[in-house]
Parts: sequence; structure tokens; C-alpha cells
Amino acid sequence: MVKRKVAALEKIDADFASLQYKIRRDPKSYKDDFMKQWEQYEAQREIFFMSPTTAAADSVESFHNMIDLIAHVADCYPEETRTFQDDLKAIVSQNHETLHPELRDKVVGSLVLLRRKEVIDSTALLTTLFPILVSSRSKSMRAMLFQKILNDLRNSNSKSTNHPLNRTIQAVLYNLITADRSSPRAIWAIKLTRELWKRQIWTDAKPVDIMKEACLADNEKVIVGAVRFFLGGDKEREELEDESSDEEIDLAKVRHQITINKKSRKQNQAYKKAVDKVKRQEKKKSKPHPLNFSALHLLHDPQDFAEELFTKHLQGTKNKLSLDTKLLILQLVTRLVGLHKLTIVPLYSWFIKYLTPKQQSVTSILASLAQGVHNLVPPDALEPLIQKIANEFVSEASASEVAAVGLNAIREVCSRQSLAMTETLLQDLVQYRKSKDKGVMMAAKGLLSLYREVGAEMLKRRDRGKEATMGLSSGGMKQRKFGEEEVGGIEGLDLLAKWKEEQRERKRAEKGDGSDVSDDEKDPEDGFNSDEWEVGSEDSSDSGEWINVEHSSDEEDEPAPKKRKGDGDDEDKESAQDAAAELERMTKLATTTILTPADLAKLQELRAASSVQKAMGSKFRKQQNQNPDGHVDDGLTAENIEAPIRLRKLTKEEKVALAKEGKPDREEHKSTTAIRKSKKEAAGKSTSNKEKQRKKNFLMTLGKAKSKQKRSLVETRKVLRGHVERSTRGGRRRNGT
Amino acid sequence: MGSSAKKKKEKKKDFQKPKYKVGKTAPKASNFTDTSFKSRAIVMNQQSLSTAAPDVVQQFKHNLSLASSSKNDKQRRDALAYLTSQLSSQPPVNPVGTNNILSKVLPLISDRSTPARSQLLKLLQALPKDEAKHSTREAITFIRAGMTHLSADISNDSLGFLEWLLDVADDDLVGIPGGWFKTLTTFCVIMGWSPSSSAAGWTSAPRTGPQAKGAQVLARQMSLLSRFIQIGMKPVIPVIPSRQDYWDNLYRIPRDPHAFEYLNLFGGTRDEANEMHTTREARQEVLSRKFLDPISKGIERAKKEGGAVGRAATELDQVLTDRMRDYTASELITDQYLLDLW
Repeated sequence: MVKRKVAALEKIDADFASLQYKIRRDPKSYKDDFMKQWEQYEAQREIFFMSPTTAAADSVESFHNMIDLIAHVADCYPEETRTFQDDLKAIVSQNHETLHPELRDKVVGSLVLLRRKEVIDSTALLTTLFPILVSSRSKSMRAMLFQKILNDLRNSNSKSTNHPLNRTIQAVLYNLITADRSSPRAIWAIKLTRELWKRQIWTDAKPVDIMKEACLADNEKVIVGAVRFFLGGDKEREELEDESSDEEIDLAKVRHQITINKKSRKQNQAYKKAVDKVKRQEKKKSKPHPLNFSALHLLHDPQDFAEELFTKHLQGTKNKLSLDTKLLILQLVTRLVGLHKLTIVPLYSWFIKYLTPKQQSVTSILASLAQGVHNLVPPDALEPLIQKIANEFVSEASASEVAAVGLNAIREVCSRQSLAMTETLLQDLVQYRKSKDKGVMMAAKGLLSLYREVGAEMLKRRDRGKEATMGLSSGGMKQRKFGEEEVGGIEGLDLLAKWKEEQRERKRAEKGDGSDVSDDEKDPEDGFNSDEWEVGSEDSSDSGEWINVEHSSDEEDEPAPKKRKGDGDDEDKESAQDAAAELERMTKLATTTILTPADLAKLQELRAASSVQKAMGSKFRKQQNQNPDGHVDDGLTAENIEAPIRLRKLTKEEKVALAKEGKPDREEHKSTTAIRKSKKEAAGKSTSNKEKQRKKNFLMTLGKAKSKQKRSLVETRKVLRGHVERSTRGGRRRNGT
Repeated sequence: MGSSAKKKKEKKKDFQKPKYKVGKTAPKASNFTDTSFKSRAIVMNQQSLSTAAPDVVQQFKHNLSLASSSKNDKQRRDALAYLTSQLSSQPPVNPVGTNNILSKVLPLISDRSTPARSQLLKLLQALPKDEAKHSTREAITFIRAGMTHLSADISNDSLGFLEWLLDVADDDLVGIPGGWFKTLTTFCVIMGWSPSSSAAGWTSAPRTGPQAKGAQVLARQMSLLSRFIQIGMKPVIPVIPSRQDYWDNLYRIPRDPHAFEYLNLFGGTRDEANEMHTTREARQEVLSRKFLDPISKGIERAKKEGGAVGRAATELDQVLTDRMRDYTASELITDQYLLDLW
């Protein structure tokens, strides 16, 4: 058979890629071709629908191609392809179970493409894809759909928050959870919400509401997912934010790269993009930080929620949740109770039966208990619990770890509600500070130092310590009554005051005598100032405050004279008592002056510095009684209850790991330097000069050695001098130049 | 440079003579290749070990599956040829039934190899007509897909298949859902007379489309279209109902291929394109409303070209005027009209 000659044009026409390219270039002139392909698509669709389940590979492939082509050019012919989107939706939502996987992916991809081309809107896309995600049985399909849905939500929220879309989707998710509480489908709602929460796309109360409903579901998976969200979602969000802010582009490097490599448009664009990104990042930095409330704070009616959680999942005997799940839920409930100071009285009596050393993961339960206590919990409810912990855990017979855990737990509970302790029990427990085990001893000392601060009169006289005894005798220290609140202050204000003090000292030292003139100039004002301060501190009348405010607002314009003014202030007072009074006064800084933005920034800085110091351990002892992380919102974990890890006996593996830390891997018996050298060689690095010298062929060194022997004294001197000179200059190549 | 002792030794090795020893085989050369082999059995590929040859039915089925699913062009063509020979023998051998054969081979209308397609046409022609007409609906779908195929060869060959289908099922073809409307649309599209293009504004230059490069093809398309229209709008010959018909209508199951199609029991709601146009008037109405304008424009253009195309256009024009003579536009109130009123 003679092969038919094929014209060049015809050949080119015969593939979809070029046709697609041509159509996109010039939609008007290729309309006829498109119409033909559209008819082809219709025919293929018909063929496909004759038997969607048993379609042959060929027909699937040609249908696949047609969908691809039409989807890519759909935006050029909106009128002709009106029905296309509905067709795709129908195909994928009716046949997704039986469809050929490639075709299925293509249909979904085409729908997303149409969305990108803005042929369809996000709502239409998501309402199509989401039901499939929920009902599909194919894992890969679900993964893909989840990704696509997430991406679309991110994209449509990228420029500005798309409120209508978010509302729609949130309503869909909410309905999914509340429609059937026992179905595992709600897990998708949770995944989606959590992901969007993490990326700070959804930050309002509605997603929290969705999660709240999910917590009250009947399916264990759903419950766990939702509870984990409340316990860890915010931390996840912060971590992601830190990560994204970490990656920074080095513009200089990019610019340098361009000078080296071949210049191309692509590279130029990459550079532009990098510049854009850097600019955006800078803009973001200068923007005010968006207010992100944690999920626990955004909860509507936490009291009801916590009660419901407790009664539904924990209290009853009917529920069949596993212990791990129960622990998670317990954590959430107690966290809510502690954070919002809720009152759930049956919660405390529920704990009783779990407080034995044999109970599985009892430390976590103890941590939850401590977490669930706040100063408004009736001490009567807590007393039996503490008694039980003391009886079960803290005795001579029990193991030292157990006793330490018990004491720690008691301390944590009492640090939140000190009234729950009885005098006899406390005196008993305090005696464990003589224990031989370090963990127990430290735990008991912790309890002791706690009660020295909050309830010294309950301790025996000799245990009270100096400060507490003095405080008691002077009447300055009193145990707080039930429901009594501490007077609030600004954290770190004393630090700021101290810093200002130091600053003033320094200024004065710098200026010395030269400051006389300026002091004279400021004198009348200073006199007025100090008078006013004293009046203000004595009776804190309204008028005093008003005048102070005016005065400080004058200062705000120029921060420098303010400090100079302080100098004058300081010189007046010289006795130590006056200085102490001054400090006292400065702690009331906030009530007497307006803090300028610069002050606030400094305050922030000082706070950070002090928290770093705390973490470094310089003030560890002092801080032991408070929550170690410092923030009230952070929950208490089992680790806080268990004795610190160093106190525990190490296992052999741990010891080995500790010893090995920081040392190179050692497969064979070699010296450390040998191992390092071989590593260096393997990495393709060069040897040092010393090494080169050492390895040099002996014969090559002979000549020099011989000539050295023949050198005259003058020559030798020259050489030695040269050596010294070189070493002072920093070698032949001159260090640093 | 003076070479080292090692190098000298290596050099020497090349010129050393092998030492022969009495009673021992000579040492092998360094480039000796061992060609001996051991085998316990000789395996012969591609040999059937069955004693009995496969029977005709088996062979037929095998060939049918080869024709529909083989990746090899030649194999497909040969299988189709085998099937054709079996079907055209006297008496015809067809163990699986016409319908099954059709459902297997119809996708081959868009086959990429030309010989296979021409063989397929022969096969289809060998099938009994009254049985083949039961698969009209599938056939026309595949033919439409073939006609609009991107490859010019396939779309040209599809005309042959359409010819066959017109032979087989004339009335059925135009009466089934979508048979009239969609086929006409396809015709218009492949000839470049798009029915839905807006007439307003500038007219684009007359394009015959990349497919109708040869005037021959266009002429063939037009003559086929005229035949299609002829069949679609055949004058109705009134049949005098006999007594038997009356009773048949009441008590017998109808023997038409798509007897209850109009009830649309299983499909979704039909749009205009998928509507059944069972009567001549309905078809006339559709033609005049949707297609008359582009077709007559196309005819005008084609007439000017002259030659075979011009002749075909004249013929088509004649058919069109002949068949549309008794049609008056305002006669029918259509659904569309009612919808427009709404």
C-alpha cells in the first residue's frame, strides 16, 4: 500500500497542544475549529455516558483529551461552553466512584482550571468538590480533593478575606458535623478547619464554633480531632508563622548570581519576584500585628461547653471512649475551667477514683486536676482530693518517684488554691524535705516555699523562714481569703522603673559638674515636680494626677530633657530610704504618668530579657512556685508534675546517648582526628598547609635542607627576622586585608 | 622520566611466553570466550500444545476481541477481515449476534489506522441490515464522534460509515433522540457553516475549514447531507390501517427498535438537541428555524465555486427547496415559542 502524503499543516493540526495554543492566541479565527472540537466533545460525552462504568481505555483517553482541551479554551468562548461546567460537575459528582482514575483527576483538575480562569466561582467549585471529598472511598482522590479545596480557599482569601465564601463553607462544615453526629465524615470538616486555622485564613469565632460542635460528636475520631485542635491548634499556628517569617531572601546573592550566569528573561523575572517578595515581607513587618485570639478565648459560652463535654464524655458510665481520648477531653475540660474560671463542682469528685499510683498515666490526670483548679474553686471540694493524693502517693513506703509526683501535684493544686490545704497535712508533708531522695526533697521544699508566701501561719514557726516571720509580725503578710483578688499591676513595670533609675545615674556620672547650668534652668520646674510627686504619693488625690498627666505630656515631645530633669530630682534625695520610696513611687508609674510608646517598647524589651534570664536559670529558685512557662494561658502538662528528668535515674541507653553527644560517629576504631580528616576528605575539602608540608615528598625537601646548612649567619638572621615580621603582619597574605 | 620497577614489571608481562607443561592442557588465552552451554530442555516459543484446534466459535470470539482491543494495527485489520469473511460466508457464521459485534467494533470508527477503518466498513456492510438497525443510536454517536475527529482522514472515512447507516436505518436514524438535530449540527460544523455564529457585525472570510481542503470532500459531504435531508423529510405516504394493525397495537409488543423511546423512561430531561423529532413536520420546523439560514448561505458560497462542489450544492439546494415547499413557518406553536413567550 502506498503511503499517503500528509501535508505539513495537516500534521501539525493533528495534535491538541498546538490547536489549543492557536485557539488561545486567536480565538475568533479558530472558532470553526473549536466548534468542531466541541461537537467532538459532545459526541465523546455521549459515548461515555452510554456505559460510564465499562468504558474502553481508548474512549476514556479521547474523552480525557477533549475535556482537557475544552477546559483550557473555555474562557475564550463563554457562550458556546455554557454547559461545560455543569457537565463536568455532573460527571464527577455522579460517577466519581466508578470513573477511571485518570479521567476523574482530569475532570477535577479541569474544574479547578475553570475556577482559575474565573469561569466558575469558588462557591460552585467547593460545593461540588466537598461532597465528593466526604463520600469518596478512594484515598488518592480524597487527598487530591482536599489539596484542591484548601488551595482554592487560600487563593480566594489571599488578596482580601472573602467573607461570603468563608461563611458558605463554614455553614457547610457546620451542617456536616451537626447533621449526623455519629458519622466519621465530620473528620474532613475538622481537617479543613484546622488547616485553615493554622494558616490564619479563618481566625474568627465561627471555625471555633464548628470545632466545638465536633467535640460534642459521638464518633471517637471526630472527638479526638476536635479536642486536639483546641489543645494544640494555636501552637501550630504560631509555629507556622515563625517558620514563614524565618525564610528570607538574600537579594544581594540573587543580584550576584545574575552577574555570573547567562542573562535571560527568566532570571530577570526571578529577580523581580524576589524583590517583590522582600518588599511584601517588609510591608508585613511594618504592619500592625493582627489580633489573633486563641481558639479557647473565642469560644462562645465556655461554661456550657465544658459542662456538656464533661457530662457527655467523662461523667457517664455508658461512653466507650478509650483512656487516651478521655485524657485528652479531660485536658480540654480542665483547661477551660482553669482559663475561664468556670465552676463545675462534680468534676472534682470525679477525679477521686483515678488518684492512685497504679492508674495508667496518672501524671497526666494529676496535671489535669491541677490545671482545673483556680482561686474560685471551693476549698471543700479540693480537700478530699489532696488528702487522697497524700495518702496514696506520699508515704514512706511508696517509691520515691511516686512520692515526688504526689508532692508536685499537691503543690500545683495549692499554688492555684492555697486554702485547700489543712494545717496538719501541710506540716506532715513539709517534713519530707529531709528525704534522702533528691526529687522528693525538692518537691517538699517547693511546697514549703510556696506556703511561706501564701500561707505562712499554717507552717510551724521554725519552718516559716525569716521573711515570712517578719511579714507576719509586721502584719504585712496575710493569707488571702476565699474569693479575694490581688490588686493588678503591669508586669515588668518595676523593671522599667529600675532601668530608668540606672539611666539617670549614668547620665549624671557622664555629665559631672557640667550639668549645673541646665539644672539651674530647670530648677523651678523641678521643685514643682517633686512637690507634686510627694503629694501624689501621699494621698493620691485626683488633682495631683491630673497635673502629672499634663506634665508628662509636655515631656513626651522631647524625651531627652525628661532624663535631665530626673537628675535634678535625684540629687535632692540622697538617703537610702528616699531611694526606696522613689522605687515604690516608680512602680506606680502607670497610675501617675502616661507611658510613651518608647517606654512601652523598652518595657517589652526588659520583659523579654528577664524571661530569657529566667530561662537561663539564674533566678530558677525564685520562680519555682509559679507556672514555669510564665503564661496563664498555657496548660499544665504531665512533665511539670513528674520530677525533672535529671533527678530520675538514667537508663543505660540514655547514659550512652549523653556520652556520645557531640562526638563523631565511630564505626571503626580510629582516633577522632583521623575520623575528622576522612570526613573532610569525603566532603571534597582541601588539606591544610601543615598537612601539605607534612606529606611533601622527602626528595623535594632535600635541596632546601642542604642549602639551609650552608647559609651564612647573616642570611640566617635575615630569614629569622623575616619570619618574625611576617608573623606580626599576619602571614604572607596579611590577615584581614 | 625513568619508570618505576612496577611499571617495568608490567611491561615485561606482555612479552612473556606461556609455559607449556607435559600432560596439561595449554593455558587459555586472555581473551578466550567460553562458548560451551548446558541445557536440560529445549524451549520453543510460540507453539500451541493443544491437540485439538480451537473451534469456530472460539476463533470468532478471539478475533472479535483482537479487533476491538489489539494494539497492533495489522492485527486489528486482519481480525476484522476474518470477521468479515465469516459473516459473508454462506450461511453466515455469527455466534455472538449482530448487536454484540456492533458494540465491540463501533469504537473502531475513530481508529487511527486507515486500512483497519476501510476493513471495518466492509465488515459493517456484511452485517444483516434489519439486525444492525437496532444499534442505530450507538452507531450514530460514534459516527458523529468520527466526523468531528481532529484527524482529517478519520473524519472523511466517517462519511462512509454514515452512508452505511443511512442505508441501514433511514427512518430510525432521523427519529431517534438527537438523531436529527445533532447530526445536522455536526454537518454544519464540519463544513464550516456554523449554525450558532452570530450574524451581527463583520462577517469573517469564508472558510471551508481545514478538513474540506479537497473540493471532493466538501462535495461528498454536501451530497450526503442532501441525502440525509431527503430521508428526513420524505413525503408521508398515508397507510390505510388494516384490522390486524388495530389488534396488534393493542395486544402485541411493538417490534420497532426504539418503540418506547418517546417515554424517556431512563434518561434525564432532554434539551433541544436531544429531543426526538419523530414527524416530518417537526423536522421541517427544526431545520427551518435553526439550520436553513446557515445552510442556504453555505450553498450560495459553494455554488460560486463551481465544479463538483457547485454541482453538489445545486443538488442540495434543489432537495432543500423541494422538501421545504409545503412548510409554513407559523403553522406550529413549538415549545420554544412558548418558552420565548414566557
